[in-house]
Amino acid sequence: MRLGEITVKVRVIGQRATRKVRVAQKTRAADLLNQLGLNRETVVVRLNGKIVAEEERLADGDSVEILPVVTGG
Amino acid sequence: MTKCTFCGRRAAYHRRYAGVFLCDRCMIRSVERRFRRSMGEHRLVSPGERVAVAVSGGKDSVACMHLLADYCRRKNCELVAVTVDEGIRGYREESLPIARENAKQLGVEHFVVSFEQAFGATLDQITTLARRKGTGLNPCTYCGVMRRSLLNQAARELDADKLATAHNLDDEVQAIMLNYVRADFSRLYRLGPSYPPREGFVPRVKPLRGIPEKEVALYALLKGIKVHLGVCPYVGGIHAEIREFLNRLEANHPNSKFMILRMFDRMRPHLAEAMPEFEMRRCEVCGEPTSSTLCKSCELLRGLGLGRKQKTLISTKST
Repeated sequence: MRLGEITVKVRVIGQRATRKVRVAQKTRAADLLNQLGLNRETVVVRLNGKIVAEEERLADGDSVEILPVVTGG
Repeated sequence: MTKCTFCGRRAAYHRRYAGVFLCDRCMIRSVERRFRRSMGEHRLVSPGERVAVAVSGGKDSVACMHLLADYCRRKNCELVAVTVDEGIRGYREESLPIARENAKQLGVEHFVVSFEQAFGATLDQITTLARRKGTGLNPCTYCGVMRRSLLNQAARELDADKLATAHNLDDEVQAIMLNYVRADFSRLYRLGPSYPPREGFVPRVKPLRGIPEKEVALYALLKGIKVHLGVCPYVGGIHAEIREFLNRLEANHPNSKFMILRMFDRMRPHLAEAMPEFEMRRCEVCGEPTSSTLCKSCELLRGLGLGRKQKTLISTKST
């Protein structure tokens, strides 16, 4: 891990695997979504089991669950 | 930690179009307030009425049923729920038990009507047949027309005064854009919070029309309501493209969806004026109301060599 980087566990609901993603320190959930190519208007973020606003900052070892909720049905 | 603008607790949502953060409690209260405001402002349901709510088991319809159940208790209305089982393998069999479970929990009588029972074929079979015959129509066309027809028939058989559907802000704005793209004036002018009463149709109301889809989902999740979050396997085509475009627009320019709706609502009375009067008739096959000799469902079924099977839909209760 490079200096100034943290690792978070990411799981997109509907996809099987949980992956580890390296992001810069002080990264917000919204930045992570951008990095993953996901539109914030279409998902809900659960940080360590709690639904949070996308402006929430991530910390090393955090568990991030992303729920796609805007699916049209 | 981001904090709620109103109470200082940890925020669960950033309502970017309003520039505020909301915690779980304030978010739930806000959605409930908007729902009640919409019910009152557009006079969607009057005290003492019998309301049928269409419930698929998905987040929107289940949330709508929960909100309506509370509203109906306060306004002395009667609420019944109807699920249409289109026959989509791997999808509807997962959501239907969730619809049933929620109705039971709320003490709402629940009925199931199916494509198979009404038309003698599931949507999966209809899709296969349409592809084989090369009709060029996608599953959403069959599903949309036939589901609407069954819901209206079921609501009428249940003596409902209103039929509530869970169309949210995103659904409504997508429908506006879709009708623009298709230059479908007759469908465009009918979009609104409610449909005016017409013979043979149970008036339809959309209490979630002013609430974004993400907020409806958050409401259900934050309230701990059990919902089905699966995606219909037939989703695709122009509907999906328009949805993606609108979500990109909203992400880059918050409030765009509300602005499209607001502009449309200002134009709506003028659209209705420009629409020529037409006479309502009865479909010569099934007797459902139509402006033509055949209703759209029977027209689609005829194109596939199918026909309506069962005249009366509501015979047994599901719960």
